[in-house]
Amino acid sequence: MSNEDVEAIPPSSSPAMLDETTKEYLFSTDDGILSKASAEAQVPTAHLDIGPEGLSFYNMDLYESRERLDIFTEELSSSRTEEEQFTAMEDSNESRPRTEEEEYDLYTAEVSEMARQYGIWDDKEDMEMGFQTQEPFVMVTQKQEPAIQGIKTWGEEPVKGEPKEGGAGEKRDSIHKTPAVDEGGSMEHHKPCYPSEGDEPQSHEQYVGQRQYSEEAFEEEEWEEEGSQPMKASRGDTQIGEFVGFSAKTQEDLTMDMDNPEDGFRASEHTHDLEEGQPGAQAGGEDEVPDVFCLECKIAIRAFDKVFGSHKDHQVTKLSIAAEDTKVEIHKTMCKLEEQIAQMENFASHLEEIFITVEENFGRQEQNLEQHYNEVIQTLTQRYEEKTLGLEDEKKQKLEKLYSQLVNCGKTLDISKDLIEAAQEICRNEDKLAFLQVAVPTVERIEEYTASDPDLKLSASLEFENDAIDFSDVRQMMDSINIVPAPSAPVINPQTPNSSTSTSVRVCWSLFSDDTVEYYELYYKPVLEGTTADENEEQDASMVEVKETYCTVLNLVPNTQYEFWVTALNTTGISPASERAVYMTVPSPPVIKKKLCRSCPNAALIRWESGNTNPVDSYTVELCEISRERSETAVTESIVGIPTYESIIQLLSGRSYLIYVRAVNIGGPSERSDPVVIYTTGTFFRLNEDTAHPSLAISEDGFTMFYGDEYTELNDITFSDNTFSRCVAIMGELIPIRGKHYWEVEVEEHTEYRLGVAYEDTQRNGYLGANNTSWCMRHVMTPSRHKYEFLHNGSTPDIRITMHPKRIGVSLDYETGKLAFFNTDLSQHIYTYKCHFLHYVHPCFALEKPGALTVHNGIEAPEYITFS
Amino acid sequence: MSGTPFLTAVARIITRHKLYNIRLHTSSYTAMALTQVSSNKCFDGFQKVFEHDSTELKCKMRFGIYLPPKAEGGKCPVLYWLSGLTCTEQNFITKAGSQQEAAEHGIIIVCPDTSPRGCNIEGEDESWDFGTGAGFYVNATEDQWKVNYRMYSYITEELPHLISSNFPADSERMSISGHSMGGHGALICALKNPGKYKSVSAFAPICNPMQCPWGQKAFNGYLGSDKSKWESYDATVLVSAYSGPQLDILIDQGRDDQFLAAGQLLPDNFIAACTEKKIPVVFRLQQGYDHSYYFVCSFISNHIKHHAKYLNA
Repeated sequence: MSNEDVEAIPPSSSPAMLDETTKEYLFSTDDGILSKASAEAQVPTAHLDIGPEGLSFYNMDLYESRERLDIFTEELSSSRTEEEQFTAMEDSNESRPRTEEEEYDLYTAEVSEMARQYGIWDDKEDMEMGFQTQEPFVMVTQKQEPAIQGIKTWGEEPVKGEPKEGGAGEKRDSIHKTPAVDEGGSMEHHKPCYPSEGDEPQSHEQYVGQRQYSEEAFEEEEWEEEGSQPMKASRGDTQIGEFVGFSAKTQEDLTMDMDNPEDGFRASEHTHDLEEGQPGAQAGGEDEVPDVFCLECKIAIRAFDKVFGSHKDHQVTKLSIAAEDTKVEIHKTMCKLEEQIAQMENFASHLEEIFITVEENFGRQEQNLEQHYNEVIQTLTQRYEEKTLGLEDEKKQKLEKLYSQLVNCGKTLDISKDLIEAAQEICRNEDKLAFLQVAVPTVERIEEYTASDPDLKLSASLEFENDAIDFSDVRQMMDSINIVPAPSAPVINPQTPNSSTSTSVRVCWSLFSDDTVEYYELYYKPVLEGTTADENEEQDASMVEVKETYCTVLNLVPNTQYEFWVTALNTTGISPASERAVYMTVPSPPVIKKKLCRSCPNAALIRWESGNTNPVDSYTVELCEISRERSETAVTESIVGIPTYESIIQLLSGRSYLIYVRAVNIGGPSERSDPVVIYTTGTFFRLNEDTAHPSLAISEDGFTMFYGDEYTELNDITFSDNTFSRCVAIMGELIPIRGKHYWEVEVEEHTEYRLGVAYEDTQRNGYLGANNTSWCMRHVMTPSRHKYEFLHNGSTPDIRITMHPKRIGVSLDYETGKLAFFNTDLSQHIYTYKCHFLHYVHPCFALEKPGALTVHNGIEAPEYITFS
Repeated sequence: MSGTPFLTAVARIITRHKLYNIRLHTSSYTAMALTQVSSNKCFDGFQKVFEHDSTELKCKMRFGIYLPPKAEGGKCPVLYWLSGLTCTEQNFITKAGSQQEAAEHGIIIVCPDTSPRGCNIEGEDESWDFGTGAGFYVNATEDQWKVNYRMYSYITEELPHLISSNFPADSERMSISGHSMGGHGALICALKNPGKYKSVSAFAPICNPMQCPWGQKAFNGYLGSDKSKWESYDATVLVSAYSGPQLDILIDQGRDDQFLAAGQLLPDNFIAACTEKKIPVVFRLQQGYDHSYYFVCSFISNHIKHHAKYLNA
């Protein structure tokens, strides 16, 4: 706005006009201005019916703005200059306001868009607040416009100029007084205030106003009549001017709403929405408060609209529910934000830590540097002192020597001179005799003297004795300042459990935290037993270079101790070697001797071979129960610390187990051995072929024995101590468990056999059942009949059986001391021995005549054997 | 009547059926008919003696019954024990010592008398091996005996019904055993009624009565001189005709049994027959034992186990 324009405005025109011109000062409103302004204002507002209302609006509005003023005085004043410039620019460029208006429209659109997005009126408030604080400038613009529109009407009137100028001047004065005079009148305050808020847009407002005036004069008048409207609009509604333009009713609503600024805002927004969304509905439904919420449009609507309006097909929900939902949503967002805050806080604290660490590190580095430099300087100083001292000494020494030489020279010169004088004196003597008398000794003296050559060498060398100054150590020190020191010896860790396999070990060590290490050299060599330490030393150690502080060394020998030591290296040098640590590879897995494993319903005897040449510490047996559902099962039980090559493991009857063995040394356990499968359905044993009579042949599976027809010469046979020599018999190896055992023997009807049990040390040269160490059922064929005997100690009860068993069940029960025989085909009990078995017994089988006999193992004992 | 044996038999059958009907429909009758003579607690069960009016034998009959503790909670299998010559229901229950094992396996042991008593038949008390105490478990056909001496029917029909309707007895699970003449009775009952008895055992049974003096005398007296009639009560003969579920016969025989030596028992004949017919028998010739209840009580537990194996299977 040019000055001329301002001047053109008459002093009495209107406070608004005044404000326009004096906008710069309005922030610091004071009595002077206000009184003036109000006085002036009264005149023009007189023709505004709704003036008082407008004032009351102002009241509220201004109250707020005053608060803001108090708070933002500085800020605003500083921006004022900008605004001035802005204004100036606008003035100079007519098109400028237009673009601004466009911007403004854009902004309006944005607001409404946001309103739609948020849907909830409560949010609006937040938004507004945000604007106030964050973008006060824009806000001001927005608020101001309608008011200014109103003002413009006056602005057009040709009454202008002086008063304004004067007002401006007064105001300028008042600026300085401002703070003190504030109390004057709130209303007056406001008037200046509001233009002050709007000072920037003012110019374009004017433009708008002009346009309106020219194009819609009638409306403009209405506009003016409802003077309150602009005030109210200034509170925040951007479009209110337009409403006012065509709907008095709206204004009424708004006016009513003014009591509650928020409501007012909401109402206007609402109207705005209605206007945009359903202009048709607007007219009729102005009074109605939205009671439902359209889920699709995200706005509150009236139920009426749901039924007939454009929301007809939309999903709606109760406002309260919608509000609740949105609150939940907001809450979620808040939670997210809180999380982010927490994360940021964490990050911040982390940063803080890093900060401190970095600071410390640098501090340490500085200290280090200082220390090193001090050392160097100290050394240099020392060196300097030493050198200077040396030089001083040398100088003194040499000078002394030279001086003495000089003195000597002088003396020699004197003597020479004396001699010459003497000679000359003699020569002057004209008395020949006297001359001759004197001359001879003199000549002699001279000759004598000249005979000795004068010493013309320098007694002291001119060279510096130790001119070469050795700076090598200093250089080294200097070097060591910038490069890291050589690391100190790493600390090698003792072996940890499960860190080794049979061919590898994982060695770990640690360095001192201050050290910088480029890589390590790990040395190792096997510790051979039976060699002295010296011999050990001679072996070549293997070496690997490692970057990490651990290394898995491969290709080692199982169950062997290795000595490890490690050195650390960096560019500066190599550390001393660490202590030596002995690591041990775990053993190779043992080998289960499946042929020697036996079981019964509640236990199994597992035997194995070490699988290692060196002894191991112990063995571990692992059980896996095989359930029907799962083929893969976890280890259900482990028995550790078994020192021997066998173990009896208690099991549950009627199950299947996979049993593994591991060998253990200090390095840890080996891999699992191959498993042996154990079924605890019945007793399982194998025949001990070592005990077999030489005439007895055993089938490949080890369970069928044959007594061949061919006659073998007894003489040709070599008997061992363990071999049955008379009875063609063999002994089984029953698990030494004093429980219940059951097995079956398959025979031919005419096979003549003995079968039963015997102590392990039963006579090998006797017949089974003929002694008190064996119990056996014997079947022989007599010419008349099958004869069954139940022999122990050579005697038998007389028992006759009408059916000749093909399959004989043998039940041994240590607890009840019973050994019973059954015809399993008939479930027929044949005979029961009752005796107390002092020792473990083993099954034994014999063939009396050529034939065959098969042992059946691992059979569940039938129930009927309990009735024997 | 002797001229029309067929009619007699028919009449008898009809009578029996009537009796059955009466019994079946008036169980209170039989319950009332039982009179407890004695009751003694034994191994947590009770050894009792009852008396009742036998419809088969037309006289008052007594039987001993051991009710194991398990019988209080449910039905138990029943082992019928048939005693030997001259015995009453008392011999077994007082001498055999069966109660402990019976209590353990939950078996009811029913021990009937060996013949009708007090029927006032001429000559019934003349000798110890015929008449009173020597019913031989046959249904007599000779006029003088045929009214009362129907021990076979009594044992296999009347008594089981009486027991199952008065005691917690499982009529599906029955076994039978006996000593001497009772052993003979047990064997013929089992062999003549395939499947009726789950198992059978015997102590020193008269295995082939047709071939021994006791049997010949009794069969002649009760059944007449027609030896073909005898065959249906001779175990050794019956074996060769047996067809039915697998039997598992346990026989204990004292080696020092004077009646074994006297050829009254003839187990070899029976074993031979069983061997031939592939009927499973375990025959144990027990060294040093005689024919007495000392012998019986030595092995009674074996026998009860043997029965328990099948009764409790």
